[in-house]
Amino acid sequence: MEADAKKPGRLKMDGWIFFLVGLIAALIVGWMVFPLLLYSEKSQPLIFSHASHGPESDAGLDCEECHFFYEDGTFSGIPGIKKCMECHEDSESPLSENSEEKKLFTDYVGTKKEIPWLVYARQPDCVYFPHIAHVKMAEIECKVCHGDFATRKIPPTYKLNRLTRYSIDIWGRNIAGYKKNTWDTMKMDDCADCHKRKGKENNNACFVCHK
Amino acid sequence: MEFNRRNFIKFVAGGLGGTMLSPLPWKLIDDIAIWTQNWAWVPVPGRGKFSYIKTVCTLCPGACGIQVRKVGSRAVKIEGRSEYPVNHGAICPLGMAGLQTLYNEGIRWKAPMKRVGPRGSEKWKEISWDEALDTLTTRIKGLRDKGVPEELAAIDGNQSRSTMALLIKRLLSSIGSPNYLRMPQEEDTHAMVNFLMQGINSPLAFDLENTDFILSFGCGLLDGWGFPGSMLSVWRHWISDEQKKHKTHVVQVDPRASNTASKADIWLAPFPGTEAALALGIAHVIIQEKLYSKEFIENHCFGFYDWFDEKGVEHKGFSGIVLGKYSPANVEIITGIKSRVIIEVARKFASAHAPIALAGRGKGTLPGSLYEFMAVYALNALKGRINTKGGTLITDDVPLAPWAEVEYDSVANNGLTKERLDRAGTSKYPFTRSLIHKFTEAINGNQSSPVDTLLLCSANPVYTIPDNQSFIQALAKIPFIVSLSPFMDETSMMADMILPDHSHLEKMIDIIRPTGIQYPLYALSQPAVKPLYSTRHSGDVIISLAKRIGGSVAGSFQWANFEEAVKERVSGLYDAGKSKVSWEDITKNGYWYTPSHSFGEWTDIFKTPSKKFEFFSTEIELALTAYSKGKSFDDTLLDLGIRSKGDEVYMPHYEELKSSGDKNQYPLLLLPIEFINLASGWIGNPPFLNKTLFDHQLTKDDLFVEVNPKTASQYRLAEGSRAILQSPKGELSVRIHLFDGAMPGVIFVPFGLGHTAYDKYLKGKGVNPNEIIDPIEDPLSGQPVWWNTRVKVIKA
Repeated sequence: MEADAKKPGRLKMDGWIFFLVGLIAALIVGWMVFPLLLYSEKSQPLIFSHASHGPESDAGLDCEECHFFYEDGTFSGIPGIKKCMECHEDSESPLSENSEEKKLFTDYVGTKKEIPWLVYARQPDCVYFPHIAHVKMAEIECKVCHGDFATRKIPPTYKLNRLTRYSIDIWGRNIAGYKKNTWDTMKMDDCADCHKRKGKENNNACFVCHK
Repeated sequence: MEFNRRNFIKFVAGGLGGTMLSPLPWKLIDDIAIWTQNWAWVPVPGRGKFSYIKTVCTLCPGACGIQVRKVGSRAVKIEGRSEYPVNHGAICPLGMAGLQTLYNEGIRWKAPMKRVGPRGSEKWKEISWDEALDTLTTRIKGLRDKGVPEELAAIDGNQSRSTMALLIKRLLSSIGSPNYLRMPQEEDTHAMVNFLMQGINSPLAFDLENTDFILSFGCGLLDGWGFPGSMLSVWRHWISDEQKKHKTHVVQVDPRASNTASKADIWLAPFPGTEAALALGIAHVIIQEKLYSKEFIENHCFGFYDWFDEKGVEHKGFSGIVLGKYSPANVEIITGIKSRVIIEVARKFASAHAPIALAGRGKGTLPGSLYEFMAVYALNALKGRINTKGGTLITDDVPLAPWAEVEYDSVANNGLTKERLDRAGTSKYPFTRSLIHKFTEAINGNQSSPVDTLLLCSANPVYTIPDNQSFIQALAKIPFIVSLSPFMDETSMMADMILPDHSHLEKMIDIIRPTGIQYPLYALSQPAVKPLYSTRHSGDVIISLAKRIGGSVAGSFQWANFEEAVKERVSGLYDAGKSKVSWEDITKNGYWYTPSHSFGEWTDIFKTPSKKFEFFSTEIELALTAYSKGKSFDDTLLDLGIRSKGDEVYMPHYEELKSSGDKNQYPLLLLPIEFINLASGWIGNPPFLNKTLFDHQLTKDDLFVEVNPKTASQYRLAEGSRAILQSPKGELSVRIHLFDGAMPGVIFVPFGLGHTAYDKYLKGKGVNPNEIIDPIEDPLSGQPVWWNTRVKVIKA
């Protein structure tokens, strides 16, 4: 070691390999291992196909058939089992040969049990979000915040953040938080940015959403 | 190239750098921030469809219209209904906290229970409804077979004309027992005054919306009196100046700076128990200065002037007695109120456009002094404020259809000939309908209990009866006790079997004429949620029980269930009133009413023997004559506890109450007080309302009593000192709160705490003044006097 030290102008490169190893290892852990550990994959209780229920399908249902506003202005959200049973009521005469429909009958319709859907868009309880202000007043299309569900054959994989217990869709499926589409991330800043862009900066006051 | 310490450091440095360049630390900080906010113990209602159920709160006979907001199947909030004619959107704190009486698992009976340990050991076994009803049926049938149906007794706390009360009474009558007892209420005293002075046996009503001068003798107008939700709405009306020709004034008579007294225009604090003298002092001024309504007094009153009876005996009139005994100077000595103040208030009362005098105490849940109420009521008569706008009203009946007559068999007829155990309605207590303390005496005074089976519905007498220790002794002697309470209250804990009722939000219940309301109104609640547990509507239970007993008892209960029984009564309302209504209308709106009052002519509203308003009550004369057969009149008065003599005994007058405690041994007076935010009746205080109590009222498990600083210093008591309050009946441990608004010489103890049942939110917190109240009997009514207990305080 001493010999090395006496050589002028020579950098101490041999230790640097450790630096590099550490750097690369950390990058791999941070970018690839960490997301794998942070999220656990869960499956929806049923593989619901929007494509086979939507306006373009055989069923030919309008979106508003299941996702509508009540008279008092509250949004119905994801329909309950009663809505499914409006068509899928008789287990003896299923509407398809799908094994998922069979599961619907055996597990849910028989006992009128509500299907425990995993909700991608679920925000914390402290957030007051009125659909009516955004859908009817601002006339924002569903897919701007939710992405295009209407043509999906299978629901996206639900990834649960083990720490926060929210869906990966809030931070975004991109671990860097990089946003390409409007629906990629949905944290508070995203709401605030959109409010600003649309000239509704007053809606960024705390009490508007945190009543 | 060895992995030495330097290289290790380089490795770590690289790692750190890489970590910083990765999303790990930034995402982790953000996620941990969110994780720290995920408190698992924060209750959040489930998600679901929002809905409102419009119904009526039936926690007290005030019957406020409420709407219950629900998320899915869970009720989440109770609000007053703005379109409901009783409360116009207002609601009292207990009504708002009503959800906790529904959802507090710790205090609800979830199914019928049978006691399996000794009484009070709180060991219960769940049984089926069939077994429970069979057990009770067998017991009652056994009593009837032995020819002693009168050994069945019931204590009922439901509103006196409600369908539940009628069903319980009907059950006992058809079985053959006269021992139907009711919890004592202020409404009973009002009804007695109505009967004695006006000849009408029903509670009074007050047109409070149209009055402009309220002389309230102790009524907690803002402290929960009468119909609390409605009172809050009425007070709001009084203080708002819009569209009113006359500004409203409130004079509150109160020994303490209660909320009502603090917000009144004038606060008068006579010595407790002398309120009748104050009323008569005011009457003196009105009579002497000729400020009374000549038309009413001359033409529609009896006993105002001196008169001769048919035997030629001269009787002194009310005016003569008042002018002789109750001059402001005399009254100043009795009450402590300066005579010039008495004169000023009297003149203000007399010159107001629509004055009203109200008698009562606190929340109006406990009975008052009959003579005192008569004295206060006489003030209304002096100004002709009977059945006029803004005055006291003769109530119109709610035209409910009557049920078929009760069927009696020979067993029942025989049983009904027996005298009531509480002697209510007999010659000694001719005007009172129910006397629980005499019932207690009858049981305690006997070797073996004259009561075999006791039913309890909507009542918690072990907690709410003054001098509850005697009542507990009596319960111990009764072989079989059944409670229909939905809650694990003190009385239920002494029972042998529980047949739990639904909570108020789970059932349909009616209230006929909410307390004091000025027009006929029928309130009907509908369930806001499905029953949570295996409880049953007590009305259905009574009907099932009757059907199981069979014979004429079943014959008297032809309905399938409670709703049918109600529907039959309500059918009388369909065509009555201004417009036709249907069952659907009434159940949907929760009420039927005719918003008008027939302000009848004074010539035909009084039903007294003289057909006039009676200052000299003929009914009292008849009753005393009947009671004094075989003994001297003086002995009669002594027996009845009436201290005055002569014609006064038939008229409103003041008499000093005697108490069992010697004034030297027990120098202070114990006065219980009631707060609107501390439930003190048969419903235990919900935890929400516990939170509204100040530290100087309740700290941890210590109850604070209010004492004037001057009095406290006499006993070297400071703020927060521990003390023992001792009365001839017992003692309580309390802590002292110094309050300038408390009258010196009086200790004010809140009603509502000191529970020994329920759950951790109530059990063991504070003390219950009922344990040491030493009630004497109110002269003539026989009701327990709970405001005259003498105590001494010892520093602990």
